[in-house]
Amino acid sequence: MAAMHRIVVDAMGGDHAPDEIVQGAAEASLQLSSAEIILVGDATVLGRLLPRMRHDGARVRVHHAPTYVEMDEKPAEALAAKPEASIIVAADLVARGEGDALVSAGNTGASVLACARRWQLLEGVRRSALAAVYPTELRRGEKDDPFSLILDVGATIDATAEDLVGFAVMGSSYAKLVSSNRRPRVALLSNGTEPGKGPPSIIAAHAALVETTELNFIGNIEGLDIPRGVADVVVTSGFVGNVVLKMLEGVSETVVRLARYAHKERLAWRLGLVALSSAIDQLKSITDWQQYGGAPLLGFTHPFIKAHGRSNARAITNAVKVAHKALAGNLCGNIARTMAELDERSQRRPRAGTIPPAVGS
Amino acid sequence: MMRSLLRRVSKLSNLPIRVGERIGLFDHIPAGLADGAPAPKHTFRWDLDKTYLRTEFDSFVDLAKSAIETAADKQAYPGATALLRALRQDGNRICIVSGSPTQMRQVLATKLRLDGVEYDEFVLKNNLKNILRGRFRALRAQIPYKLPAMLQSRIGAPAPFETLFGDDAEADAIIYCLYADLLSERVSLQDLERVLVASRAYDDDANRILDLAARVPKGETVRRLFIHLDRRSPSLGFRRFGPRLVPVFNYFQAALVLYEDKVLSARQVIFVALEMIDSGQYELGHLATSVQDVIRRGRLSRECALQLTTESTEAAKSGALSGRSDLPPFEEIAEAFRHRVRELGGTNPVPWEADEPLDYVRLVDEEHEHRRQRRRSGH
Repeated sequence: MAAMHRIVVDAMGGDHAPDEIVQGAAEASLQLSSAEIILVGDATVLGRLLPRMRHDGARVRVHHAPTYVEMDEKPAEALAAKPEASIIVAADLVARGEGDALVSAGNTGASVLACARRWQLLEGVRRSALAAVYPTELRRGEKDDPFSLILDVGATIDATAEDLVGFAVMGSSYAKLVSSNRRPRVALLSNGTEPGKGPPSIIAAHAALVETTELNFIGNIEGLDIPRGVADVVVTSGFVGNVVLKMLEGVSETVVRLARYAHKERLAWRLGLVALSSAIDQLKSITDWQQYGGAPLLGFTHPFIKAHGRSNARAITNAVKVAHKALAGNLCGNIARTMAELDERSQRRPRAGTIPPAVGS
Repeated sequence: MMRSLLRRVSKLSNLPIRVGERIGLFDHIPAGLADGAPAPKHTFRWDLDKTYLRTEFDSFVDLAKSAIETAADKQAYPGATALLRALRQDGNRICIVSGSPTQMRQVLATKLRLDGVEYDEFVLKNNLKNILRGRFRALRAQIPYKLPAMLQSRIGAPAPFETLFGDDAEADAIIYCLYADLLSERVSLQDLERVLVASRAYDDDANRILDLAARVPKGETVRRLFIHLDRRSPSLGFRRFGPRLVPVFNYFQAALVLYEDKVLSARQVIFVALEMIDSGQYELGHLATSVQDVIRRGRLSRECALQLTTESTEAAKSGALSGRSDLPPFEEIAEAFRHRVRELGGTNPVPWEADEPLDYVRLVDEEHEHRRQRRRSGH
């Protein structure tokens, strides 16, 4: 029997929790024979839901948590007020070694904070990074993955050069494993492609990344290169990453609103949209974020997959599968090993080549 | 007529009858109890495909594959063999009623022999006879085949208690509940007649079933019905059949419920668990999670689960696990089980509502409709 991976799922987190979360986890229990799913939440509610769904009763268990953090609550306050909230109990289970990975579609801030307070960072990793996936023009890896990875998008607001190098290692390891991309192209997000462009932390990180042989570093890219898919892993600080992500989401929503406006405004435009509908549907299926499941919080000793707040059952099943893949492929071990190799090389290198002191840390 | 003639002719050997039964010319009628033999204490009736044997016949290819498989190729579900062996003890009776064709008798009997499973009756479906008589409706029919087979078996060897095992194709749950309700006289012969019409039984078959139902020894006999969730069907779908019917994901869960029913000892439950672990398909964690699942569904009390861990620890100390150096100390195993119970906090399972009589005609109609839908959708 393959090694059993215990995946803890916050059953109460998400806009459609607990029904869709439980449904997704139940489906995952049928698809993953070497996984045990631990649903954390109100045992009475979960006990009523599970028998309605096809699942494997020997592979899904319930761990009671009497409360949960609402999607719109302030993370730090909610965690302080609800010490038995499902996300805290779930993160605790992993921290105590009763689970191997965590999946949540709940309040992002509370989820990240709960993990950060309870989990250990990997050796060599200074700061964790929350990643997000973004659909692009180009496909990548053996799976023709249309998504590129952007990190950090909010876990670490102000990143130093060393942090950015760490993010590059973590993002590359994740893309290798999850997108089956042997040599993911890693880029730094800056205000120009030239190595000297950008704030000191970017310039220093660029200098350090150029030296690495472990990564396929392609240099700096600009914001407009993200949707083009020039890079498979886009590295930036949490503050910039969050602004970029929100802007990209805003642009997508605006395009949809414009299409709706066009649909209402003129018959000719409406006919044009109808003619394009099959192509739009195909585009939607290619860039369907639900097939991706979620994005990881990287840098800790355990994988955490943050599923979209609006996740339905399919997205949760896929998020659980991503967590399973991260465990089966020893994602955290790979990150730690690469970080150790980088560290060893930087210690062997003459002082002039080392990363300059962090800027803004 | 032909049968009795052959019996007379073959005074020294019943070979022609056996050959006739094997190729499907004659029905195999269970012998029942020998003269003077004591009545069984408890009869356990088992379906075979998808209940004892892992069988795929959802497609024509699966069906063909299943038909040409040798006995050694056939796989029993983990824990089923140990459970059957445990149930056979203490003067109990094992009766197998399977929807597989009579031509499969030899290979299935060999499989049971290879597994060391002893049985008292083994009834298979005579589909060749149905084809020769042009009774194509009967090829798929379950109620007109299984119900008389069970009634006939009970008439031949009545036991004060019975436990039935089937799979999550809806027909098994309906037939088993109908059988139980006929014995307890909750279903009258008039009701049965209506059910047989709904299940499209041929007239002579219906008359035979009504005759058997009138003659069968009655009583509150059927204590427990187990439905093996082979398709992983939602267990809630079986709740309407009442608390006596327990859907189980695996045979450890069945053993747990039989332990609470005082049919099995803690030691016997351990042997079922060990067989499941030895299959390589289950780990201790799965078994502990299985315990939590039956508690959550209200099919096993927490007290009983905790009592089992105490008794199992005692049994383990007295040698039930001797020679099992691959397992952690039993105290550790027991603690894993207790932990799963504690994980539920103070929550209680959904309480059972009042036991309402089942509308079998509606159930049969629904089952036919679901079967039609599955055929249309290719599943």
